[in-house]
Amino acid sequence: MSDEPARILMAKTSLDGHWRGITIVERALREAHFEVITLGMATPDEIVRAAVDEQVDIVGLNLGGRSAVVERIVAQLRSQGCDAAVMVGGVITPKTKKALESAGIAVFPPGSSLEDIVATARRLCEQEI
Amino acid sequence: MATQRYTTSSGIPLSSHYGPGDVPEGHWPKVKAPPGKSPYTRGAYPEMYRSRPWRIFQLSGYGNPEDERERIRFLLEHGETGFLMEHDRMTADHLYDVDHPEVVARREDVGLTGAVILSVDDFETVLDGIDIAATYAHAGGAVVQHAPFANACYWTVARRRGIDLRRLAGTGQSDFNLTYLGCINKVQVPPRDGLRFNLDLIEHCTLNVPRWVPVSIAAYNAADTGLNAFEELGALMANAAEYLDGIKQRSRLAVADVAHGVGGVNLRTSMDFFEDIAKLRAARSMWDRLLRERYGVTDERACRLRIHVVTAGSAMTYTQPLNNIARGTLMGLAAVLGGAQSLGVSGYDEAITIPSEHAHQMSVRIQQILAHEANLTAVADPLGGSWLVESLTAQIEERAWEFFEMIQGEGGYIATLESGWLHQRAAAGAALAMDQVEKGDRVLVGVNAYQDDVSPFEVEGFEGTTDAWDRAMARLATLRRERHSSAAAEALRALEEACRSDVNIMGPMLDAVKARVTIGEIGEVYRTVFGNWDVPIVF
Repeated sequence: MSDEPARILMAKTSLDGHWRGITIVERALREAHFEVITLGMATPDEIVRAAVDEQVDIVGLNLGGRSAVVERIVAQLRSQGCDAAVMVGGVITPKTKKALESAGIAVFPPGSSLEDIVATARRLCEQEI
Repeated sequence: MATQRYTTSSGIPLSSHYGPGDVPEGHWPKVKAPPGKSPYTRGAYPEMYRSRPWRIFQLSGYGNPEDERERIRFLLEHGETGFLMEHDRMTADHLYDVDHPEVVARREDVGLTGAVILSVDDFETVLDGIDIAATYAHAGGAVVQHAPFANACYWTVARRRGIDLRRLAGTGQSDFNLTYLGCINKVQVPPRDGLRFNLDLIEHCTLNVPRWVPVSIAAYNAADTGLNAFEELGALMANAAEYLDGIKQRSRLAVADVAHGVGGVNLRTSMDFFEDIAKLRAARSMWDRLLRERYGVTDERACRLRIHVVTAGSAMTYTQPLNNIARGTLMGLAAVLGGAQSLGVSGYDEAITIPSEHAHQMSVRIQQILAHEANLTAVADPLGGSWLVESLTAQIEERAWEFFEMIQGEGGYIATLESGWLHQRAAAGAALAMDQVEKGDRVLVGVNAYQDDVSPFEVEGFEGTTDAWDRAMARLATLRRERHSSAAAEALRALEEACRSDVNIMGPMLDAVKARVTIGEIGEVYRTVFGNWDVPIVF
């Protein structure tokens, strides 16, 4: 593994302006020495382009509630040869959580501990090498 | 392990017990003034809930206009006494039509946070069969740039029904804390232009829709973004001062004429019971003092602050969601003991989804139990004279005025939004609260303690409808085909002209709504005239 810090792209998939969760996660990741690239509210195309251009290790998404947009982003990432891991957080139903998890996506609903989020991000970066 | 420090959630130290010496001398006159008398610390009205039950007022709506109408009717049938129209955040907050590329890119999420309401036609659908002449409403327009359109649509429906707008009651909120601090949109008019919208609304309502609360400052949103109790109140008063100073500068109306309209606000109760109660009491005396000292207004109606409380959404947990019924009850109780005029209790599924019908019913039932079963409403300000509550009330007020002065020192409330100063304060508060939970200094049952769960009840999460985008696309196509297109274009031109001048925009807005313009067309006018706010912080 290189000495470069792991790179994580953070974005909001919806146009819903609840920022508290994502900004707290970004802060925790920075404190854990990740290089955090923030995209704010972005469309799937914008997110995929940034993930590819920036060659990130992880794409972190704050989702708007439903899984469809996330599934679209993952499909586009893979079709463009980007194998970045995907982590998702936000207000999300247990059913949607299960669906995303079965697609290999780490899901963090409200109340998730920052320690868990950071530990998962580290583990996902190591797996990639 | 560190020795435990006892404080309120905003850091006010707590003794093991309180006595008369803990209440500052200067606070006693406020305790001695009865409810309904200046400075209103003990209540807005003399008899409080004996004569004026609080309004049961729940956020509601999702999907298609018909879905929203059914949910509102459901709530009213179950005992809600006012109703709130939730609008889809993508289209309403951003003023986008459903065929805007930004919306199309996320079409599956459309309608999840509120109904898609594109024009006055959709308002007609939502409000069909609801007695709006007799029911206080929140018409939507929580976000500043949405408010003029949302209000104009609602009033247009009322007028078509022959309702005298001078008797119509409700609000559109139009809140700066939501718009420019807590829930910042991708595209929105800058704060100074937002201030102009709100001043236009205040003037228009004062003259034409006098029972409407033209702007309702939601300090709730500042609090749920991370400001603590006294910061919430300091920011509230500084926000109100921007509006009232603005009205004074325009010198078309007197502050005394508009103060009642500005004095209907929204505060948060969270999970700090006594501090929350004290905060509501302090808010009322601060408002009275602001009006008297800064503006020389002494009129009772103007100096009496009315408070709508929403229980903290952020206090509701994802795990063991039924525990949230207890949390909703406690936070609702704090609102009642603090003397709220109106209350919304967050759903027990708040952290999972928008409320299911059952979660909504529970929020209403919690309020009904508080109102009818526990004998809470016979006596106004039942905690008045409690040494603890009076001490906290005095301390919160004192600290809140200090925070108010800090904001003035930064150039005023809007300047602190433009510089990012207030965002930094809120972020620091949110980080501190998170750290306390992470370190276990603050216990959250089911989250960082007592995690075992044997509940046989699965809370799956309400999914809403999945056809909101498709059906809105069809409605939009029909609307564009059917309406008088040159009349719509002319109305939009007139609105643009008004936006570029200092004419009150509400007249041209009402004309545009009548011409069946769409929400996205209004947004295009604003984006052309005002551009987008250059947000001072990075997310």
